[in-house]
Amino acid sequence: MKHLLLISVAVFLCAVAPAQATEIKEIISPKGIKAWLVEDHKLPLISMQFAFRGGVERDPADKQGLANLTMNLMTEGAGPYDAAAFQQQLADHSVALKFEAGRDALEGSIKALSQDKDTAFDLLHLAVTQPHFDAVEFSRHRDQQLSALRTMFGNPEWQGRYALFQNVFGKHPYGARRLGSTQTLANITRADVKSFAASHLARDNLVLSVAGDISPRELGVALDKIFGGLPKHAKFVPISEVVWPHDKAVILLPREGTQTNLLFAMPGPKRDDKDWYAAEIANYILGGGGFSSRLMQDVRDKKGLTYGINMGISPMEHGSLILGEAATDNPKTGQAWEVISDTMRRFYDDGVSEKEVDGAKDYLTGALPLAMTSTDKISEVLEGIQLEHLSRDYLDRRNDLLRKVTVEQVNQAVRRWFNPDGLFISMVGKPEGMAPTQTEDLVRY
Amino acid sequence: MRCSFLQRSFLLALLFALLTLQAHAAVFYPTSFTLSNGLQVIVVPNHLSPAVNQMVWYKVGSSDEVPGKLGLAHYLEHLMFRGTSNMAPGEFSKMIAAQGGEDNAFTSYDYTSYHETVAADRLPMIMQMEADRMQNLQIMPETATPELSVVMNERQQRTDNNPEGRFGEKLRHILLPHHPYGVPVIGWKPEIEQLTAAKAAEFYKQHYAPNNAVVIISGDVTPEEVMRLAAAIYGPIPRGDIAPRKPVPPATNPKRHRFVMTDIGVEQAQLEFTAVVPSYSTQKNTEAYAYEVLSEALDGGEVGLLYRRLAVEQGLASGVETNYDPDARGDALFVIALTPQPGKTPQQLEKALQDQLQGIAQNGLDAKLVEAAKQRLERTAIFARDSLMMPGYAFGMALTTGHSVNDVEEWPDRIERVTADDVNAALRDLVANPHNLMAMLLPDSKATAAQREAVRPMLNRDMGIR
Repeated sequence: MKHLLLISVAVFLCAVAPAQATEIKEIISPKGIKAWLVEDHKLPLISMQFAFRGGVERDPADKQGLANLTMNLMTEGAGPYDAAAFQQQLADHSVALKFEAGRDALEGSIKALSQDKDTAFDLLHLAVTQPHFDAVEFSRHRDQQLSALRTMFGNPEWQGRYALFQNVFGKHPYGARRLGSTQTLANITRADVKSFAASHLARDNLVLSVAGDISPRELGVALDKIFGGLPKHAKFVPISEVVWPHDKAVILLPREGTQTNLLFAMPGPKRDDKDWYAAEIANYILGGGGFSSRLMQDVRDKKGLTYGINMGISPMEHGSLILGEAATDNPKTGQAWEVISDTMRRFYDDGVSEKEVDGAKDYLTGALPLAMTSTDKISEVLEGIQLEHLSRDYLDRRNDLLRKVTVEQVNQAVRRWFNPDGLFISMVGKPEGMAPTQTEDLVRY
Repeated sequence: MRCSFLQRSFLLALLFALLTLQAHAAVFYPTSFTLSNGLQVIVVPNHLSPAVNQMVWYKVGSSDEVPGKLGLAHYLEHLMFRGTSNMAPGEFSKMIAAQGGEDNAFTSYDYTSYHETVAADRLPMIMQMEADRMQNLQIMPETATPELSVVMNERQQRTDNNPEGRFGEKLRHILLPHHPYGVPVIGWKPEIEQLTAAKAAEFYKQHYAPNNAVVIISGDVTPEEVMRLAAAIYGPIPRGDIAPRKPVPPATNPKRHRFVMTDIGVEQAQLEFTAVVPSYSTQKNTEAYAYEVLSEALDGGEVGLLYRRLAVEQGLASGVETNYDPDARGDALFVIALTPQPGKTPQQLEKALQDQLQGIAQNGLDAKLVEAAKQRLERTAIFARDSLMMPGYAFGMALTTGHSVNDVEEWPDRIERVTADDVNAALRDLVANPHNLMAMLLPDSKATAAQREAVRPMLNRDMGIR
């Protein structure tokens, strides 16, 4: 233990270079595999995000849960390693390798210390190109997925979300459940998992982002080694655009308990909509802005009717929705909804102020750099930008795109997207003072 | 970022109790100093991005409350956002949001913590804001009353309306009778209703002062700049008259060792075995470190011994997790949480768990397995540096529970010194520990028995495919 008197070194240490804008390099491997890279050698570790476009939406209707089950089996044995040996390799080298099924993409990440990166890349290579999908692991993971599904059944937010999505999306794949159902899980076979992986893991739907301690040259070589053996093209069934139903529903799912979970949704702008930035600002002011939003101030701070209320826009490949949620005491549900609709009505009728728009811009322009504070978060932001089909200079352009939005444009977006008459609602609980248009049973198995 | 040209004379003029630590094989390599008013400040430079995180931890939590006023520490945490003599209610979070930043707070048994993340050049602003509410909080009835409803809603959402929340609360209450760790941090409903602005103001006066706080600043900063800012911004706050903390009493054995809760809102059964074991504070020697290695060896994701035996080999569990958090003033809990596979009963799983624990304790864990668990733990210390908030959490929890910067920095070395014998001794103690509870959360069988019967045959249908 060395005690060092700070005074003696103080004068020399203060010359820290000003923070520079993040430089994103595009790497193209010898075999033509692309990745974005933020090279940074300060810490001896590396984070990679990978995604294959086409996710849960590609589940066949009678085999919902297939994408999720396939992803859970990716790390259960590959190449020369059986499931136990593969997991042991990951653990012994502290390699965090994850796969998950997103709505529009099969996503994954790997993080490892620099000293272990060759092993990490080798394991990832084996997982994506030579997964075993052994019968024992298949059956164990299918049972685990059923357990996970049952755990979700007990969750009122999940119940409300599922009921609402089924109503809004109907037979469109976005109405499907990531975990499937007891029936659809029973329909899934090992052959389904194998063929799902074989048709969806390919080079032409692969999206890659990397951050940390690796040079462009080294990454290029690694990309070929990991992904070079994948088929060139993924095989997809085309997905149609979402069409919202005409009849708006207020769905009640009666549930024992003390609170009602409220979920409300309406169609939102897609990511490439001309109104995107104006709508993002509008959403922030109304309900997306955490403790500063109008809904949080009206429903939580002034009335104490909820612990939290928030809204967000979820743009997807084939549709988009604006979704809000809050929980309140059963007897106060009607009162809470009155405050919520009142706030939304005033927002729609009177629009927003310049001060609010400036505040939203301040937050939105400042927040993204603050989301990039670790190698895994940097690679996640990069991956998000790519998955939304945005260009590599997006981080440089984004602030200008937000800054130049006018109050008028925000108000136009409010009129176009935030009409409170357009809401679809689900309530889970025993709400008082709010009438449903239809009542459904909680989903059980 | 601004560069602070510190003058030697300027520095000497500051009344720092100065201590800089440079440990070997350390974790965060921090600079630590204490202002003359008793405020301890820890700086961890991290130049990965132009951001900074500040965490302010007060050495007060629900274990410092007096009976009848449970929930006061947490209620006060909420009121810390409801205005000072310089700032309107809600303005705190608005100012952070205007910078694109994030802020929040949380309360636990032994500490209350506030944190903000902003661009590094806005550090003076968030320091001023925390310094302001450290001394100038104004608790007004017109904001304190709706805030109490917010707290009540929080309790409903987390606990009353959530079977798992109620299960956890009851479990603790049975396991730790007449003990501050046995009551919920948020408080019981009837006592929350009795909390007032005046009681919160009194609690604030008793516990919120620079000499009862720790500030951790992590991010794109230099220690010198933070020292200068801290002296200027936090330095003038007067020391508070803080009574010594009443110690957390030893836990007494529960009256029963089984607890079963059935609930109509539950579809998936859960099993939780919990034992009261030593923490960093109550260990006689270094048992806490042995329990950490034990937890990693038993859990450790899919390579954990219990997962391998109960989930993979016996097919009885679909999930196995252990949890052990030794950062406490009093004793800590060692938890083994299990989810039965569909078609298996919690009782079968309970029996299998007990057999496994007995068997492993008798034969001892393999030395190689212990070594691998140690290696995994030690490497987490390197990953911890790839995080803006991890230093705040690590130092905050240590320093508010009676431990030091050294304890955090020497953690990898202390894990390294744990032997297989230490881990096996911990496991034998765990198995022989009379202070435990086996708790089960079960679906209401009447509601779902018929449907459950229908499930099994369906799932078995295509098991034969190879």
